[in-house]
Amino acid sequence: MGEGTGRGESLSIWFFVGIMTLAYGVVLLPYGAWAWFGHHEAPTVLNNLHPTFWWGLLLTAFGGFYTARFRPKSGDKNRA
Amino acid sequence: MNPAALSMFALTTQLTSLSALDITILLLYFAVVIFIGFYVKGSTNTSEEFFLAGREMSAWIAGLSFVSANLGSLELMGWAGSAYQYGILATHWYWIGAIPAMLFLGIVMMPFYYISKTHSVPGYLQLRFGEGARALSATSFGLMTILMSGVNMYAMAVVMKTILGWNITFSIWVGAVTVAIYVMLGGLRSAIINEVLQFILIWAGAALIPILGLIEAGGWHNLKAQIAQNVGNTSYTHLWANTGTFASNPMGVNWFGLVFGLGAVVSFGYWTTDFLVVQRVLSANNLRAAKMAPVIGAAFKMAVPFIVIVPGILALSVLKNPDGSMMHLVPGDIAAATHQHAYDEVLPLMLIRYCGPGLLGLGITALVAGFMSGMAGNVSAFSTVWTYDLYGAYINKKASDKHYVAMGRWSTVVGMLISIASAYILAHASSIMDYVQALFSFFIAPLFGTVILGMLWKRATKAGGFYGLLAGTVSSIGMFIYVHQGGKAALAKIALSPDAQPMAENLFRALWSWLICVFVTVVVSYMTTPKTDAELEGLVYGATAIPDDGATTLWQKPIFWASVVAVVFVGLNLLFF
Repeated sequence: MGEGTGRGESLSIWFFVGIMTLAYGVVLLPYGAWAWFGHHEAPTVLNNLHPTFWWGLLLTAFGGFYTARFRPKSGDKNRA
Repeated sequence: MNPAALSMFALTTQLTSLSALDITILLLYFAVVIFIGFYVKGSTNTSEEFFLAGREMSAWIAGLSFVSANLGSLELMGWAGSAYQYGILATHWYWIGAIPAMLFLGIVMMPFYYISKTHSVPGYLQLRFGEGARALSATSFGLMTILMSGVNMYAMAVVMKTILGWNITFSIWVGAVTVAIYVMLGGLRSAIINEVLQFILIWAGAALIPILGLIEAGGWHNLKAQIAQNVGNTSYTHLWANTGTFASNPMGVNWFGLVFGLGAVVSFGYWTTDFLVVQRVLSANNLRAAKMAPVIGAAFKMAVPFIVIVPGILALSVLKNPDGSMMHLVPGDIAAATHQHAYDEVLPLMLIRYCGPGLLGLGITALVAGFMSGMAGNVSAFSTVWTYDLYGAYINKKASDKHYVAMGRWSTVVGMLISIASAYILAHASSIMDYVQALFSFFIAPLFGTVILGMLWKRATKAGGFYGLLAGTVSSIGMFIYVHQGGKAALAKIALSPDAQPMAENLFRALWSWLICVFVTVVVSYMTTPKTDAELEGLVYGATAIPDDGATTLWQKPIFWASVVAVVFVGLNLLFF
């Protein structure tokens, strides 16, 4: 059973957490890389630290781990 | 909710706009929350599934949802503004104003809520004190919940208008319809899943602000020194050191009010008897999970000041005008007249300071997620109390389970529509919002008196519970009117000091109304006939054999983890003393 979603469903709530943060990481990381390496950083304070890139990387790693760890598996019972 | 946050309604100037990247992030969020509603609809066919998520949530999920339902964006932005206004004192509303109560709920009260198999807090009152207490608490809770939902909804719309220039009606309807869809489809299950997701998103969107802010300020010690220099004293960075008297701190409260008014009454009232949050814990899949959920929630709640209070304090040091001078934020009404920035804008201002395209969208999504988790908490709790404790108890007692589920879905929609209507009505009468906020608090303190005596004192009788609750509520309303009519002199009498500020009124009013509730309950109980132990089984300490929660090792015991959280809580208070 997918923990937190209910009887008869295979998707865990942690899978939703993973897929959502992974999606955000995948959106932010390329933009952050483009801004950093293409010298297009927005004029924010401390933009020299390239927060979009690093935060995107962190979300990608976090989301990737949760997505992989809680992905629906073929042997799951009660698949919706 | 923080009363100061209501000044948010006076915000006027648009702060920024979203890029395509930001809009993509926001749309992604809306798509996922709606998908979750449709996804879990198939497993919410019975009333147990719709209203209590099938009682199959793990401790982690129930615990995160428990915190998230409380963490509306108004809460986030309001307290960030208060941190700017009052300094680290605002942290009390997250630590002493939450942690002891959450641990008490988990370890002492949860077994009674859980083993009584009640569907709601008014439902527990009905089992313990009869129909009168249930009717009183269910009616007041339903009314206040729906009004507060409207206030929150309008506040969200104004924030979106202020930050992004969005149309108010558009914001109200987008937020409300989205929440209505996923709660109507998936009930509490859908609300809980989304709340866990929202909790993660709030951190993902807001945690960068304190991290970058502390880097810019040069660390905590440098920050303290800069604030002391900017405001002229050290009271903004001490939790307790300046609470010896009302006059010695910027909030105008003293340690007695904080410990006994906030820590012992308001906090215990909210966290242990407000059904909006208790409902999340009732969804736990076993007694140990039900006891662990508030403990886990407390651990996360202790961390929330990092993303709420720290940004507010940081702004006292790093927030500057374009010309490099310090930016001075002002109360909402002054901001509206002078076109300055208001206290409640501190979080968006800090967000804009550090976050460019993409990160800004994530931060805005965090604010929207916060609003929606708060709204879903209100509407799902309203739908449950309406269906079980008003409709099912007094209007249609013998309907089928299927009928009650349908009523739950319809009441979600109707509740949301009433919230929208109240949002528009309240929008044009800003002073009413203070009254709505006060009305909500009227029922919290006495309700805690009634519930705690009901759970821990066998001698409390049906009449004692009802008249105690009534007396506490009426006295709270009376004190509120007295202070609003009598002004500073009346406040000085209620808070026992001429130096007391409005924040002290809430704390001392709660304390007095709780004491009155307990006094009346005790007196009336001794004048009336108590129930036998057999009648109180499963409801009251001393008449109930608490079942084993199944914990075999130390690591599985809720009391062990509650002790760990309590030690960290004490340590943090000493660290920031």
